[in-house]
Amino acid sequence: MLLGVDVGGTFTDAALVDGRRVHTAKTPTTPDDQSRGVLAAVEAVLREAGVGPEAVTGLRHGMTVATNALLEGVVARTVLCATEGFVDLVEIGRQDRPHLYDLARPRVAPLVPPERRVAVPERCGPDGPERPLTPEAARRTAAAVAALDPEAVAVILLHADRHPAHERLLGDALRDALGDGVHVSLSHEAVGTFREYERAATTEVDAAVSPLVGRYLRRLGAGCEAAGLPRPEILQSSGGVCDLEEAARHGATTVLSGPAGGAAAAAIVSRTTGEPDLLCFDMGGTSCDVLVVSGGRVRETGGGTIAGRPIALPTVDIHTVGAGGGSIAWADPGGALRVGPRSAGAVPGPAAYGGGGTEPTVTDAHVVLGTLDPDQPLAGGVRLDLDAACAAVERLGGALGLQRDACARGILRVADAEMARALRVMTVERGVDPRGFALLAYGGAGGLHAAGLAGRLGLRRVLVPRAGGVLSALGLAAAERRTDAARTVLLRGDAITPAALGAGAPGGTERAYDLRYVGQAFELTVREQPPDPALLRRAFDAAHRERYGFDDPDAELELVTIRETTREAGPPVALGGDGEAAATSARWTGPVVVRLPGSTVVVPAGWTARTDEHGTLHLEATAEVPGPAPWEADA
Amino acid sequence: MSGPTLDAVDLQVLVGGLRAACDEMGAVLVRSAHSPNITERRDCSTAVFAAGGEMVAQAEHIPVHLGAMPASVAAVRDEDHRPGVSWILNDPYAGGSHLPDITVVTPVFAGDDLIGFAAARAHHADVGGRTPGSMPADSTTLEEEGVVIGPQRLSAGLIDELVAQMRHPAQRRADLRAQLAACEAGAARMSDLARGRGADGLGAALEQVLAYGERRMVAAIGSLPPGEHRFEDLLEGREGAIPLRVLVTVGGDEVVVDLRDAPEQGRHNLNCPRAVTESACLFAVRAAVADHDLPTDDGTRRRIRVLTRPGSLLDARPTPDGTRPAVVAGNVETSSRVADLVLGALGRALGQGTMNNVTLGDEHRTMYETIAGGQGATPGADGPTAVHVAMSNTRNTPVEALEVGFPVRVERYEVRRGSGGAGRWRGGDGVIRELRALAPLEYQVLGERRTVGARGADGGEDGRPGRHALDGRTLPPKAGGWMAVGQRLLVETPGGGGCGPVANPSASTSSS
Repeated sequence: MLLGVDVGGTFTDAALVDGRRVHTAKTPTTPDDQSRGVLAAVEAVLREAGVGPEAVTGLRHGMTVATNALLEGVVARTVLCATEGFVDLVEIGRQDRPHLYDLARPRVAPLVPPERRVAVPERCGPDGPERPLTPEAARRTAAAVAALDPEAVAVILLHADRHPAHERLLGDALRDALGDGVHVSLSHEAVGTFREYERAATTEVDAAVSPLVGRYLRRLGAGCEAAGLPRPEILQSSGGVCDLEEAARHGATTVLSGPAGGAAAAAIVSRTTGEPDLLCFDMGGTSCDVLVVSGGRVRETGGGTIAGRPIALPTVDIHTVGAGGGSIAWADPGGALRVGPRSAGAVPGPAAYGGGGTEPTVTDAHVVLGTLDPDQPLAGGVRLDLDAACAAVERLGGALGLQRDACARGILRVADAEMARALRVMTVERGVDPRGFALLAYGGAGGLHAAGLAGRLGLRRVLVPRAGGVLSALGLAAAERRTDAARTVLLRGDAITPAALGAGAPGGTERAYDLRYVGQAFELTVREQPPDPALLRRAFDAAHRERYGFDDPDAELELVTIRETTREAGPPVALGGDGEAAATSARWTGPVVVRLPGSTVVVPAGWTARTDEHGTLHLEATAEVPGPAPWEADA
Repeated sequence: MSGPTLDAVDLQVLVGGLRAACDEMGAVLVRSAHSPNITERRDCSTAVFAAGGEMVAQAEHIPVHLGAMPASVAAVRDEDHRPGVSWILNDPYAGGSHLPDITVVTPVFAGDDLIGFAAARAHHADVGGRTPGSMPADSTTLEEEGVVIGPQRLSAGLIDELVAQMRHPAQRRADLRAQLAACEAGAARMSDLARGRGADGLGAALEQVLAYGERRMVAAIGSLPPGEHRFEDLLEGREGAIPLRVLVTVGGDEVVVDLRDAPEQGRHNLNCPRAVTESACLFAVRAAVADHDLPTDDGTRRRIRVLTRPGSLLDARPTPDGTRPAVVAGNVETSSRVADLVLGALGRALGQGTMNNVTLGDEHRTMYETIAGGQGATPGADGPTAVHVAMSNTRNTPVEALEVGFPVRVERYEVRRGSGGAGRWRGGDGVIRELRALAPLEYQVLGERRTVGARGADGGEDGRPGRHALDGRTLPPKAGGWMAVGQRLLVETPGGGGCGPVANPSASTSSS
């Protein structure tokens, strides 16, 4: 049996897959040491399934240790070694200010302060060493680093992505001087792609979080061994899992793994429902995450950011907007109704939660309009307070000259507009026509808004999976194993040969190519192409046309980066049909609000809904122009 | 005919839709252009306009385009428009700002009715003229700075004709095509917004969007110190300092910036067309108010009145004999100083106040970069270090990208510690950047604050002035010439001013 354990902000979810059955458990997250909550969740789910630890054949884990360390700024004491003349490259960044008009707003502070930056007497140019690093200079540099008493060291030398000899020499000297107890991240290993700031910032993160991640994972590994469980595999930002030791060595690969469990789950939904193209939207309490599954595969990108720091590593491509169930509605000084980005959070929560919140939220608007039924408790046993929701919405309506119900509808319309923009950013703005896609809605509030949003974008199918809250854990259980490596090559024209593209290399490795026309500064990644320059050229021209509306077949091509991925597909799992779903299968015709355990789904006029054998709710547009969400229709 | 009044909800949905249209235009432009100026440095802006030419939303990349985008549309608004026929211009005296900024304007139709415009502006790496990069340090007339494009209809033939006069025509063509694609995307979004409303309905709704912007600005002005505020500063001209003065009057619901006292326009390139001066004033007021989330439209502009005197440095005009004064440093440098005048008048410590423009090139290739510096401190916060402070916010080109395509080595790129002014809150530090030539290269440097540092406020000390030097020999603030192989161009950028008196005198040197 496969076991997935996903650590979230409030709860740790476990999902145990036993053939077509899925057992789930939820325990409180233990922020001081996540491994306690993980083992508690494992114990709970094994008890629920009535099996012992020996029944578990694979254990997959999504953790937030690295993410939290960065968000809270509690990281290992790190030293940065950089080419002489460039020790401040992370501090200078791209030299832009974070806000155009808020001149005092600081950029995110580097993880390494100026007094722990060490200059390395060397220089490579684009064609190799120009000022050699001598073994003696490497030793002296290592001694200077040792004097700073580091827990971790980040090494970032210019052009090391293509000329790594100096970084290797210095890395050896550092290990000699510091021993195995100090973590060393070399930029060509940790990242491998060009653009020194992004590579440096990522290498700095890798060094600063790896000691923490390593300590945590070794503790967890020992705990699992003691409990008779297999050694856990760890979820990476790419959506694949890797060996525990690998994650401990490269902490940066897990930094953006939070939403990756949901992405892995989306891939399973795609497989089990036979929908290759999914626009996925996860609407939670404070925000709404959008990602895309295309041809059965989660769309990814070469890098993302966390708290203002770039992470130049393969990452699930996610766009987030600040519109969730807890987003607060307010009146701005010009008299417009705004929603978010401020959120009522878990405390005090929406007014309807009765936790002392007085500001109206998206959830309160649903309570006022009756889409959320005050008599039906939410997941976690929260009872909804209709009077508190009405009072909060009425107060805002008073400030804006709107009746209470009109104000509630307005809150939902503004939130919908915000989410529709996020969906457009991920599709239309990237040259993808979403109309053949199905919309996959998950997260607490996804089902309330899904059909209305689908209608706006011309999507005619909506999926709301039953597993809901534990979908990420389920995705983890079935995630693929994956290793990534990237290296910048910067080859032009005829230098792009089949051999350069990896022809003749041992099989089993997928290659993706970051390409551009010479002169461009952004690359497009072309995947699933054989190592044939002519075919690659055609594929790139086509991709450019699709994304930007034109191509330039006469321009010289530049191969910037080769990305190599090895994958081992995860085991097949079902979506959590537990035998009861078939018995309760039913059909609805909109307009109707379908209330299922743990989720409420709005089915507007012109839509029908049915459940499948996995318990997934399928909505389908029957009218040529299906009706909008009720709050739009009544506006 | 006017449509029904928008309620608080319809208003927000429309404002969001217009903003999204501009963002989508920006995404198309930045991702499909070829020159690093646009793709990496994002020296570009996109905006949509009502049929009457009022700007209803702008995607904010570059503040210097704030007041200049409306001027571009105003220059073509009254022409005879046809669907699918766009306009192009860069003439600073007819809707442009400086020649490298080329603007494409596309009229938007719903059926036969003109419902608005979409415009995309981008800084092109070269538009011809005397020096590679089209940013000569010593130009006196516009013609020296490149090809002057008066407003005209854009056609394939015209593009061929224009790019033939510029360096790197293939890149120019690609960038222009990206601008046109961006405008088409904006036009499509505006047409969507007109659907169901009709041309008149959309027009009436857009007027309410502008009124909303106006209300937001009135509310924001309440956070400024009321009354009359004066400030003086200097521009570092080639023939000596040029004094500038401002009188800023903050009323209950309006800010008036009076710059009529400016000296005459001159035979140099620090001249500003009025649109550029206005952009700088709009930027400074928006930065000074407490609400940093104001919509970017002509509604907000209605409450900021900028007074200039035609023929002055800050409202340059062609002279009666037809001479068009040079403007290239006016756009990048004088504009920074105008913003500083207004911020200084409103009591703020000042930032580096320059973009430190460096252009290198020969007949085959050109690079243009601006270099960050220190920001002024504010009560409660040190000034940020190594940032663009005012009218620019362009990103740097990565050293590893620059060195692959261009015969130059970056020898040093570090923080200039201790260059920010001391104070209770310290001014931000500037940076040090040094470039070594690997081939003979013509260089142009346009810098400011090389003699007098950025002013501190409330007893905070001034930031240290900047400096640039060739092989150790200090150059004047505006300098040009040739670098031989192996020669080094060093730029030390100014620090920002401090804020508040230093509480403990030893603290002023603690971090230098």
